[in-house]
Amino acid sequence: MSIFEELRGVLDTGGRAVVLTVVSGENVGVKLLVRADGTTVGRGPSDLAALAPAALRRGRSHVIEHDGVTIFADVFAPPPRLFVYGAVDTAESLCRAVKLVGWTSVVADARARFATPERLPSADEILVAWPEEAFAQVQPDAGTAVVVLTHDDKFDLPALKAALESEAFYIGALGSRRNQERRRERLLEAGVPESAFDRIAGPSGLDIGAASSAETALSMLAEMLATRAGRSGGPLRDAKTRIHAGSFAGKK
Amino acid sequence: MKELLPEIDRWRANGDRVAIATVVATRRTSPRPVGSKLAVSESGELAGSVSGGCVEGDVYLAAQDVLAGGAPRLITYGITDDMALGIGLSCGGEIDVFVESLE
Repeated sequence: MSIFEELRGVLDTGGRAVVLTVVSGENVGVKLLVRADGTTVGRGPSDLAALAPAALRRGRSHVIEHDGVTIFADVFAPPPRLFVYGAVDTAESLCRAVKLVGWTSVVADARARFATPERLPSADEILVAWPEEAFAQVQPDAGTAVVVLTHDDKFDLPALKAALESEAFYIGALGSRRNQERRRERLLEAGVPESAFDRIAGPSGLDIGAASSAETALSMLAEMLATRAGRSGGPLRDAKTRIHAGSFAGKK
Repeated sequence: MKELLPEIDRWRANGDRVAIATVVATRRTSPRPVGSKLAVSESGELAGSVSGGCVEGDVYLAAQDVLAGGAPRLITYGITDDMALGIGLSCGGEIDVFVESLE
């Protein structure tokens, strides 16, 4: 099957793949398609496949210098997805915020009275499920941001544990610093390694003085975008890197 | 890419071969992000965009050359402020475009 036909299948099914093309150096034009599961199509040297996981995690097309050749990694992936555990009012604000930037959203809560379309009109999907079951169903991947919002340890702890076992590019948790500390101790007791805690953004969001749930959602979305682009989230005025993400930072 | 598929399919159904130009890198500001594509058919039809109009004319010629058997190639364009203003963009920049035939 040709790379083009394979790519069409990936696009049609909302799958994830990267097409690696040599654009300068030797063998210009040689291509290899690598699917998210690591399988490949095409005549490109198979050692290129090793570049695919990092390219897919980055989630945007970019250029890679590799062994003296320049390779364009064209990343094809569905838009990022937000998975919120906890159908509180901030969940609706978050779903509304991510919709504006083209993401999709899933909200889950074990409490059927909370997880309703009336309370969450902006959510693309609503699940009534306990954390373990919800995570098994949603299967957060490298294109998913997870936010845990219940304020109740019996939901938050298993949800955070499951989030840390996934490849989610962002894991956010609400709560005061004191609550974060207590949660951290409980998760350590539950066998989560110390090193995993760096992945939790808690309290979630950038420091923009957010007060209402809509403002909090914006602050959290801004942090998700910054995390995805590998940026710190300060004012552009003070930024040393170029303004638009997703390409060749640094090279003239 | 997805939005170009209907046009590409129509061209190929007519027996036309197709070249694809892709923005692979941008420096300073640029009108279209990395990954943007322009598809060119053998008989001269266009779909998509790599610059919002600044360099499509030249990319079209390169695409025709590639379809006529020329090698795939990487072309760097400096978008001058004059050109950018000409199509209503107020920022200049530089883009690298890779042109290849669609196999």
